[in-house]
Amino acid sequence: MNIIFREIRAHYKGLIGWSAGMLFLVIAGMAKFSAIASGGQQAIQLFKTFPKPVLVIAGINGLDVGTAIGYFGVLYLYILLLATIHAAMIGAEIISKEERDRTSEFLYPKPISRSKIVTEKLIAAIINIIILNLITTVSSILAVSFYAKNFSNNNMILTLMIGLFIMQILFFALGSVLAGVFKNPKLPTVVATAILLVTYIIWVIVDLNSKLDFLKYVTPFKYFDASVIINDGHLDPLYIALSSVIIVIFITTTYIFFNRRDLKV
Amino acid sequence: MNIFWQELRFNRRTTIIWMVAFAFGIFSYMSLYTAFSHDVSQSMKLLQGFPPVVRAVLGIRIESFFTVLGFFGYMLTYLWLIGSIQAMNLGTGILSKEISGKTADFLLSKPISRFKVLTSKLAAALVIIIATNIVFVTASYFSAEVFKTKDFDVTVFALTCLTMLFIQLFFLSLGFLISVLVPKIKSVLAYSLPIVFGFFIIGMLDSVIGAENARYLTPFKYFDVGYIALHSAYEWRFLLTEALVVIVCVVVTYIIFTRRDIQAPV
Repeated sequence: MNIIFREIRAHYKGLIGWSAGMLFLVIAGMAKFSAIASGGQQAIQLFKTFPKPVLVIAGINGLDVGTAIGYFGVLYLYILLLATIHAAMIGAEIISKEERDRTSEFLYPKPISRSKIVTEKLIAAIINIIILNLITTVSSILAVSFYAKNFSNNNMILTLMIGLFIMQILFFALGSVLAGVFKNPKLPTVVATAILLVTYIIWVIVDLNSKLDFLKYVTPFKYFDASVIINDGHLDPLYIALSSVIIVIFITTTYIFFNRRDLKV
Repeated sequence: MNIFWQELRFNRRTTIIWMVAFAFGIFSYMSLYTAFSHDVSQSMKLLQGFPPVVRAVLGIRIESFFTVLGFFGYMLTYLWLIGSIQAMNLGTGILSKEISGKTADFLLSKPISRFKVLTSKLAAALVIIIATNIVFVTASYFSAEVFKTKDFDVTVFALTCLTMLFIQLFFLSLGFLISVLVPKIKSVLAYSLPIVFGFFIIGMLDSVIGAENARYLTPFKYFDVGYIALHSAYEWRFLLTEALVVIVCVVVTYIIFTRRDIQAPV
C-alpha cells in the first residue's frame, strides 16, 4: 500500500495540471458551440457539401456539428488525444522512473516482490486515470447542458466517456508494456507517445482513403470513433472485446518482462 | 566549436527520424490531392452561389480554397503541432540533459565560459531546426509539384511553408527558457507535450475573449494561411509579437544560465 500512496503523492501535481487542461478544453470548446449554433446554420449547410477530405481533416466527418452532441463529438477527439497522452505517459513513466532517477537500487531490494511493486504502481496510475476521466465526464455533462439548452442526451456523453476510459487504459497498458520491455528508461515515454500520434494519423488516413480500410484494426482511434458511436448509439462490442484482449496481453507482458529483467542501478 | 559538433552528433539520429517522418507524412497526404480535386466541383458551385458576405464570414476564398495550396493549408495546423513538439523537445532537452544526465559538472568545469557553452548549444539547436525546415520545404514543394493540377504561386507557397520555421523558433526559445526555469527536468516530454498542446487549446479561446485578442496568445494563430494567400505577406503585428517572445526568452535564458548555481551531482 505504501507504494500506491507514494506514487499518488508523486503524481498529484501533474494530475492537477492535466485536469485543469481538460476543464479548459471542455469549457472553451463548448463555448464555441453556442456561437456556431446561434448563427452558423448556413455554414453547417455548406459543410455538408464539402468533399470528404476537408471534413476528415477538420474532424467533422460524419458528425452533425449543428447539434450539441454532434459538436461534442468533434470535441471528443481532442479530449481523447489529451487523455490518452496522459495515460500513455503515466503508464510508461511510473514503471521506468525508478531506473531513470536511479532510485531502483533503493526500491527493489526492499522485501517486496517485484510483481507487487508493479501491481501497486499500476493501481496508482489507474487511480490517476480514473480521476481524470471522472473530471472529464462531469465537466462535459455540465458544460454541454450549460451551453446547449434543452439538451437531455446525457447517456450518450456517458457512453462516449466509457469509450474514453477504455482508450485510456489501452494506452496506459501500451506505456507500461514498453516500460517493461525496454532497458533504456527514457525510451518508453517517447515510443509510447510516438505510437499514439502515429495511430492518430492512421485514423485520419483511413478516413481519407477507403482503400486502406483494413488498417482500421490497427488504430484504436477507430475503435471508439465518435461519429460511429453517436450514429449507432452504443459502443461496438467487437472493439470492446479487441481492446480488452490487447490490454490483458500488454499488462501480462509487462509483468513477465519486468520480473525477468536485469535492472539498471 | 566542440560543444556545437557534439550536440549535432548527439541529435543526429533523432533529427533524421523527424525529417523522414515529415517528408513521408507530407508526401502521403499530398498524394490524396488528385482524388480530392475531382470531388470538389459540386462544392465549388454551391460556394459560388453564396453571397460574398457569407463567404467572408466563413473565411473562404474561392480562388484558393480548392487549389493544391489550399489543400496543403488544411494539413498545416497539424504539421505545426508536430513541428512544435520537435522544437520544444530540442529546446528543453539541450541544456537540461546535462543536469539530468549528471554531466553538468563535467561540462561546466571545462575552461569555457558559460556564455560560450550556451551559445554553442543554441547554435546547434538552430542549425537542427533550419535543417529540418529545409527538408520540410523541399518535401512540400516536391509533393505540390508532383500532385498539382494547376500552377500555384511560388511566393505564397514559400511563405506558407516558412511559417513552420517561425513556429518552431517560438517553441525552441520557449523550451530554452523552461529548461533554465525548472530546477530539474526528469523527462523532457512531460514538459513539451503539455505545453505545446496547451498552446494549441488556447487557440479555442477565441469565442470567449474575442478572435483578435486570442490570436496574440498562441503562435498557432499568428499565421493565417488565408491571409498569406491573399496578400503574399505575413501580418506584421504577429511577426513582431513572435520576435518579442523569442528575444525575451533567449535573453532571460542567458541571464539565468550564466548566473545559476548548478550543483554537482552527489
